[in-house]
Amino acid sequence: MRHFLPGTLLCASLIAAGPALADHCPSDTLSKLPEQLKDGGTAIAYQTNPAKIEVGKPSIEVVACVDGDKHMAPSRIRVDAGMPMHGHGMNYTPSERKISPGHSSFDGMVFHMPGHWQITFDVYEGDTRQRLTRKVSLKR
Amino acid sequence: MTLRRTACAALLAGATLLVTGAAHSTEIFDEDEVALILSHGPWPVKTDPDPSNRMSGKPAAIAYGKILFESNDLSIDRQRSCATCHQEALGFGDGIARGFGIARVDRNTPPLFNMRLNRWFGWDGKSDNLWAQSIAPILDARELGMTPEILKARLVETPNLADGYRDVFGAPLATHDAETAMVNVAKALAAFQETIVSGKSSFDRFRDALAAEDKAGIDAYPDPAKRGLKLFVGKGRCDLCHFGANFTNGEFHDIGMPHFPAPGRVDKGRYGGIQHLRKSRFNLLGPFNDDGLRATAGFTRHVRLTPKNWGEFRVPSLRNAALTAPYMHDGSKDTLADVVNHYSEIPEERLHQDGEKLLRPLHLSDAEKADLVAFLRTL
Repeated sequence: MRHFLPGTLLCASLIAAGPALADHCPSDTLSKLPEQLKDGGTAIAYQTNPAKIEVGKPSIEVVACVDGDKHMAPSRIRVDAGMPMHGHGMNYTPSERKISPGHSSFDGMVFHMPGHWQITFDVYEGDTRQRLTRKVSLKR
Repeated sequence: MTLRRTACAALLAGATLLVTGAAHSTEIFDEDEVALILSHGPWPVKTDPDPSNRMSGKPAAIAYGKILFESNDLSIDRQRSCATCHQEALGFGDGIARGFGIARVDRNTPPLFNMRLNRWFGWDGKSDNLWAQSIAPILDARELGMTPEILKARLVETPNLADGYRDVFGAPLATHDAETAMVNVAKALAAFQETIVSGKSSFDRFRDALAAEDKAGIDAYPDPAKRGLKLFVGKGRCDLCHFGANFTNGEFHDIGMPHFPAPGRVDKGRYGGIQHLRKSRFNLLGPFNDDGLRATAGFTRHVRLTPKNWGEFRVPSLRNAALTAPYMHDGSKDTLADVVNHYSEIPEERLHQDGEKLLRPLHLSDAEKADLVAFLRTL
């Protein structure tokens, strides 16, 4: 797994998944996002709207942004989710809306079954992908 | 959560309150099972009018929709109506494996209960709203066999239908083009169908008794059904897809059913449904949605088409299951026992290699199968 340059911080909020350009996220936005993910030199902060994900509810929103490490090349981010134990993903593809440079929301995520989901944040630098994941367990 | 724990504590304190199979079993529902059972209610679910249909919930439109639903004038040969295949006495189905209008279709006629709770309509979800789904059989050459133009002409020449149209839609038919008239007819049909709501079932009364800690109500639920319910939320894991008050997640799965309605002809299932949805002028993103904000179009906007959609069909609600035989998208299972047998010995070789890994044979005993059927008959 490739790591980005030390100090790179990607901030993501989860509302829907799809290809998007990742840029640099305002630091005040980063600090407001409650969920943090980090792997090596890449870190993501995100939030979902609503905060509590419920089975079958439409349009879970995720927001994402990239911190201002000037060494990081322009890239893109995808947000998606699946149930690894069931062998399937979501039945819906999130759409991306840019909020500000490095700060996007993804709308349209639907977690259609109870059980163990994995939300994936794929951060691309050129053709290289760094994947960060968060497990979410949903009850009926 | 407090209520659920209280209910569970009451069950445990009652020792025999939920004893199942009293002669040979001391099983009771544990706290997690009680929570799962309570999640299947309360019933009925309160719903709001459909924002995509300005006629939704309006009494005049509902009454007109009922007339249209029962009118043979909506078929090309004036020999059949919506009610021909959706018979109230047969659970708003037709009791046969595959529907038969002017000719036989490839799928089982679905019941019309609780339509307002659906996200997708039809076995393949080709419609994202009930009025669009109501257009489908009108135009299908195997069902009612109409065209928009013939439908409009029929309405014009049938006084009670023409008058009803004018009263409900506020304008004479002559002022509307054929397509608009057809969509309006479909919206009245949808308004009527939305009123077909199933009542409280034996299971609902048990579930409410459980929530209320009503021992008499809990005791009144038959022991075989209790054992079947325990399988449903436990070993069977049926409620992973059949969850919530309507006993469905409203989505699509491949459960190993054949999808060749005839030699050389394949039923694409959900794959074809999504293709149709995206091309349709009558979807929620199209010009006939009465909600300018398209507030309920999110699922349509984001739905994903993938190869795994081949052979997937909509997870049906299990409410009134005892009334809606035969079962499955092709009506190939005659009884609930046949359905349970399917899941007990599910043919794994039929499942997509990249599809659902959740399904596996349950290998139920004969007693377990009978209990599961007993439970399903209480819904």
